[in-house]
Amino acid sequence: MSPAAAAAVQPGASLRAVAVTRRFGGITALDGVSLELRPGEVHGLIGPNGSGKTTLLNLLSGYYEPSEGAIALGNEPLERAPVQRRARLGIGRTFQKPRLLPTLTVLENTMLGAWPHARAGFVETAFGLPRAAREDQAARSRATELLHGVGLGHAVARRANLLEHAEQRFLEIARALAARPRFVLLDEPAGGLSTDEIDHLGGILGTLREAGIGVLLVEHHTDFVFRVCDRVTALDLGRMIREGTPAEVRHDPEVIRVYLGA
Amino acid sequence: MSAEHRRLGLAALLALGAATLPFWAADQYQLHLATLIAAYWVLIGGLNLVVGYAGQLSIGHVGLLSIGAYAFAILAGKAGLHPALAVAASGALCGIAGLLLGLPSLRLPGFYFAMATMAVALIVGEVVLAQGELTGGGVGLPVPGFPAPFDSPAGFYWLTAAAAAVVTWLTWNVARRMQGRGLIAIRDSVVTAQAVGVPVLGAKLRAFVFSGVCAGVGGSLFAALQSYITPDTFHFELSLFFFVCIIIGGRGGILGPFLGVVVLTALPELVSPLAKLGNFFYGLLLLAVVLVVPEGIGRVFELVAARLKPRPVESVPVQPDLPRLARALRSNR
Repeated sequence: MSPAAAAAVQPGASLRAVAVTRRFGGITALDGVSLELRPGEVHGLIGPNGSGKTTLLNLLSGYYEPSEGAIALGNEPLERAPVQRRARLGIGRTFQKPRLLPTLTVLENTMLGAWPHARAGFVETAFGLPRAAREDQAARSRATELLHGVGLGHAVARRANLLEHAEQRFLEIARALAARPRFVLLDEPAGGLSTDEIDHLGGILGTLREAGIGVLLVEHHTDFVFRVCDRVTALDLGRMIREGTPAEVRHDPEVIRVYLGA
Repeated sequence: MSAEHRRLGLAALLALGAATLPFWAADQYQLHLATLIAAYWVLIGGLNLVVGYAGQLSIGHVGLLSIGAYAFAILAGKAGLHPALAVAASGALCGIAGLLLGLPSLRLPGFYFAMATMAVALIVGEVVLAQGELTGGGVGLPVPGFPAPFDSPAGFYWLTAAAAAVVTWLTWNVARRMQGRGLIAIRDSVVTAQAVGVPVLGAKLRAFVFSGVCAGVGGSLFAALQSYITPDTFHFELSLFFFVCIIIGGRGGILGPFLGVVVLTALPELVSPLAKLGNFFYGLLLLAVVLVVPEGIGRVFELVAARLKPRPVESVPVQPDLPRLARALRSNR
């Protein structure tokens, strides 16, 4: 963790949403929901369409501000912090629809994720001072390792607009990991993946857990969620209906009624 | 990698040709044209970071060029400052002008930002006309040249070409590092830029101020080359010309926009039938590029090569290497 701001947050701190409510005009998308994401934990977030999963993810990553309630990383209040500050504090995310830079290579897309660790500013970079080149070299070698790690070693030099769907999803994860995050928030990372690819995704999530990274998994593939998660939160109509271990949530009558079906 | 080597080779060839140009140029007029291209490139090279990389549609840079040119003419002429100091002062002034213009307008979404820059260009023209005592009004101002050894056409060409080379080097440094990736992220997906921590307004503003400094220096050299400036020298079409050079050259590269300014400046002058067509030629070329090679003429060869010898992208199943991923993550902290 290089930024001074990150040092202020104690190691082992968790990312918390405390009784957050978010209204859009007259509609309450999220109503008093709490969630604690711990380091080294894979936390599933499930619920029908429109239940508020993505809204909660956007509140945690900073794209929305809560109408009520608190967001915090350890003792650090975050509810008014811009997205960029949360990125520097180690909160990374991926998008439901992959958002890549189409004209850059897979490697460069991943290197972009290391932005919070680049200290060389505009003028310093323009005048070719050595720090910018050194930082770029470090970002390049780390991004290369991450890409081989997530299974994109064959596509490192390929332009991102030539990637297949699964490759785009894995590249989004690699980019988030390049920031050396404490937490990654994944918005439907298994969407459109084949069974084999979902298994690979599960392997990656397990590796993240062992590395001490907290993972929030917003996902519709419920059997995948119950298989890989340590804890699961179920939402319906903006409210939390159950939080617990996969076994507890899977057998909760309310969850079965509104979401899983008989 | 080979495409990059080819580009570097082409750039080196261009640099060699540019450095020796006074020895092989057919006449003084060609040398004048080359100096004009270099002066334009000082501005366009900086503008390229704003338009080609950060994707901000500034169509008002003639306003900054005009401020730089008049500042140089007044400081080096009326005030009798050394031309080198006058160039530096013009650059600084236009950097400040860029900051004052960019701070409010770079918050605006694309179309409105373009309108704001256009408005500023028009206002600058009016202010120049109104402040007759300082600027000579509609009559204009004589502009002093540079002292020896830059007082000959070849000497002034080398000075301007050196400034163009410095701008190219500065933008190339930005473009290939994290700062450049941040600008491209702002162009292609603001949401992504935010997610990875790029301060969107701050990054746009830095590039814009840089383009202002370049416009100030370019404006000074442009004015010294013209030796006399009037408000008509800085017509709005010139602003569109800068913008179009970058679009025709291709966004997200440096060589492309450079070829753009060379082609658009030199072709109508050297091929006389084209000169008769005037703006029609620009329009036709722009239309052809936008429709046929929207990626710009800088990438035509690459695209043609890819068309002639298509390399099928083989589908390789994604196969994570989890121990390697774990090692990469451990090297984290």
